[in-house]
Amino acid sequence: MLVTALLLVPAALLLYKSFKPSLGFGITGHGFTFDSYVSAVETPTYRKVAYNALGVGALAAIICTAMSYPVAFFINFRLRRGRDLALLLIVASLFSSYLVRLYAWRTILGDHGVINVGLESLGVLKQPLSFLLYSNWSVLIAFVNIFLPFTILIITSAVQNVPIEMLESSRDLGASSFKTFLKVLLPLTSAGAIGAFVYTFILATGDYITPQLLGGTSGGFIASVISDQFVVAGDQPLGAALCFLLLLVFALTYVGLTRIEKAKVA
Amino acid sequence: MIRTRLVTSAFWLYLGVVVTFLFAPLIFVVLFSLNKTASLTFPFHGFSVRWYRAALNSPAVSDSIVNSLRIAGITVAVVSVVGTLAAIGLTRPGFRHGSTIRVMLLAPAALPGLFIGIALLTFFVAMHIQLSLWTVITGHLIFTLPYFVLVASTRLARFDPLLGEAAQDLGAGPWLTFRRVTFPMIAPALFGAALVVFSLSWDEVLITFFTIGNQNTLPLVIYASVRHSVTPMVNAISTLLLAGSILTIFVARSVVVAVSR
Repeated sequence: MLVTALLLVPAALLLYKSFKPSLGFGITGHGFTFDSYVSAVETPTYRKVAYNALGVGALAAIICTAMSYPVAFFINFRLRRGRDLALLLIVASLFSSYLVRLYAWRTILGDHGVINVGLESLGVLKQPLSFLLYSNWSVLIAFVNIFLPFTILIITSAVQNVPIEMLESSRDLGASSFKTFLKVLLPLTSAGAIGAFVYTFILATGDYITPQLLGGTSGGFIASVISDQFVVAGDQPLGAALCFLLLLVFALTYVGLTRIEKAKVA
Repeated sequence: MIRTRLVTSAFWLYLGVVVTFLFAPLIFVVLFSLNKTASLTFPFHGFSVRWYRAALNSPAVSDSIVNSLRIAGITVAVVSVVGTLAAIGLTRPGFRHGSTIRVMLLAPAALPGLFIGIALLTFFVAMHIQLSLWTVITGHLIFTLPYFVLVASTRLARFDPLLGEAAQDLGAGPWLTFRRVTFPMIAPALFGAALVVFSLSWDEVLITFFTIGNQNTLPLVIYASVRHSVTPMVNAISTLLLAGSILTIFVARSVVVAVSR
């Protein structure tokens, strides 16, 4: 309980702060105002970076969830002896530093990186593909790389509870593999799919390190903007307001998805 | 039959691609950490350990390793005690408001580190608490506790409460029951959960970044050097960080195997 309070009190303080006027240079004034929320919603720049981050985050979440299903299916229904090894490998990659992986993608995707140099020496390319690094692409690749182990584990444990007979009888009744997935496996594991999606969506959208190391100069990310308000003497109430609006979007996404799931099942 | 084989091979191929994708970045970091020259591109000019020597000779790096170990150590110790109590409480049948408390306990795992970081920063500044390693540890406690509880309570849920009751019927007090019956049975799960916490804390950047004073942790040193300069020393430091995490998993695995035999 005490540990929970350790988070609740600062969160409440941050909420309180989001209603304070900003005097600039990191100084917060007195009084009560919705100004920060108004400027957070109305400023086009913030809207742009928010859409950008939410878009890349959602895309990463969809890709991770979709990529996890075949792995989960294979691990659960096709592997016997290799099962533990496959899971161990996935867990091992999960434990390997997140920062190290971001750094590595820089060496891989850069103009003189492994991909460009490799393709050039093969004669496929004349000029390096510069769009690979410092763009939404590199951020997306890194997000998928970081969150895929998590989603594989979540989906694997969801698929584990599905009896294989249900999938087999669907096939026996003439449904195609894809239809079986869509009509049998996916509805039975929808809670896991939503969990995996929301987890990735929240953590990817709220990440400010990845965009800073791999992101481009054109499309900013909302998390970096929020972080700047606190680190570089900025407008703290605005940062707090943006942060709560972001949390609101996350909460609405989760509630919305769960509603849809319940409606479908009922 | 041929079709089944084909499908199975396709699955193997897919699994291979996924695992390669997950590990490719790490392989390149380790490879370049052993590069003789300062270039971060191919072709490779031979192996050397000069970047490791440079990294370990740098006081900034060795200080940060000590700090990281300290933070992770204290976090693990506190979270293990608090988390074990929480997990036991949660899995006890008939625990009131169990699901509400469960959600409250697990919520920080679903919050962006950014939020936890700035909320704590605002709080510490308002309370005039000097930022230090202790403020970082507070942040790490909040963010790792859910993972500990999650891992430990999955295992605890399989623990038969009748065993505890049997011990009590035989005259053991609650403490003796815990020490001689419950604890030995859940110890591997707790140990596994503690290692998860260690590696989470060892790697953490987002919350640490906001809650640390003028000191540094190993991930922050990497973050700073990646942002400002590109030196192959970063590869060496990263490999050290990686080695720390991988060592943790292998210890975990061998302990689990040893205990389950």
